Amino acid sequence: MNGAVHPDELLPWYANGTLAGAELEAVEAHLRGCARCRAEVELLGELREKVKQSAPVAVPDEVGLQRLLREARRSRLAHPHRWLRPALAAAVAAIVVQAALIGWLWTTRAPVMEPLGEGTPAGVVLQVRFDRAAPEARIRAFLQDHDAVVIDGPSALGVYRVRLHGARAGDSAAAARALAEFRAASGIVTQAELQ
Amino acid sequence: MSAGTAADEAILLAGIARGREQDLAEFYRRYHGRVYAFLLRKIGDAADAAEAANEVMMEVWRSAARFEGRSRPLTWVLGIAQHKALDRVRRRPPDRASAEALDAERLEDASAGAMDLVARKQDAEHVRRCLEQLSEAHRAVVHLAFFEDLGYAEIAAILECPEGTVKTRMFHAKQGLKRCLGRLLD
Repeated sequence: MNGAVHPDELLPWYANGTLAGAELEAVEAHLRGCARCRAEVELLGELREKVKQSAPVAVPDEVGLQRLLREARRSRLAHPHRWLRPALAAAVAAIVVQAALIGWLWTTRAPVMEPLGEGTPAGVVLQVRFDRAAPEARIRAFLQDHDAVVIDGPSALGVYRVRLHGARAGDSAAAARALAEFRAASGIVTQAELQ
Repeated sequence: MSAGTAADEAILLAGIARGREQDLAEFYRRYHGRVYAFLLRKIGDAADAAEAANEVMMEVWRSAARFEGRSRPLTWVLGIAQHKALDRVRRRPPDRASAEALDAERLEDASAGAMDLVARKQDAEHVRRCLEQLSEAHRAVVHLAFFEDLGYAEIAAILECPEGTVKTRMFHAKQGLKRCLGRLLD
């Protein structure tokens, strides 16, 4: 590389120590026989030192950090991290499915509802809150197992009225058994009370 | 200038991707100063650079999950800073942008012998003033090569340009600096 062609384009990276391999070897060989390029490397070294000295010295800024963390928290609420998205999507999907189920139960079982003004409906009625994470299929199967239908709801607090066709009104023992079974349905029912 | 091993920092980024605020804080302490220095070189305005540095850190928070480990975390975060700086420079009013730079590519070459003397005699303040007169693209290359001590391939990755462009920009930036320093000595 000695001679007319000087490796000017590589010298800055020789000066900052990042040149490697064949390029490094070629530049070193050239420098051994070229006073001009050695002077250039010296100049680049000086320039490098002064660029370092002229750069702003930024100390860690705790006020800026606290601001960043506040923004990060707000951002997390508005735009959840990727790992949270599936969980949120699943929760939303569960709620949607639950609402669809309730709607389906309401419309398909509507004919068995007592007409208004007929008096106390037959069967035991419970006030029930379903687990928000419960899959629709589990809720449906649970209600079918208990010969139960949703007859009202949800209220503003998310409470449904569920009638148990298998328990006669006034049969306190059957009502207590059913209530105990609903309360024990972990993952499906979060709260159950006799109406 | 090393802020920790690349592996340490990749672990930090993985923590940030999981939403760990303490990892974001540690990343900030390690990198904020270097990101700010790079942005200030490119943008030239301290308030703008500080705001852009904050935007970079927020981008790290939002997109750490996209870091794939194919580059060093430093390269990745400076690449984000490069985009933020370009956005800000593009949004500037035209008069401010055009008044900013004396493009080194338009400068005459300088006599190497005289410039050796110049560069050695000038203090860092002169270098800073001359850097400010270079175009934003040339300042960025000089900063990354001489402040961050990065190789041309890594600089090309940050600036998203060919390696040959990095070398050419450095060559012209060096010529521009020599010329400017020569004028200051006169």
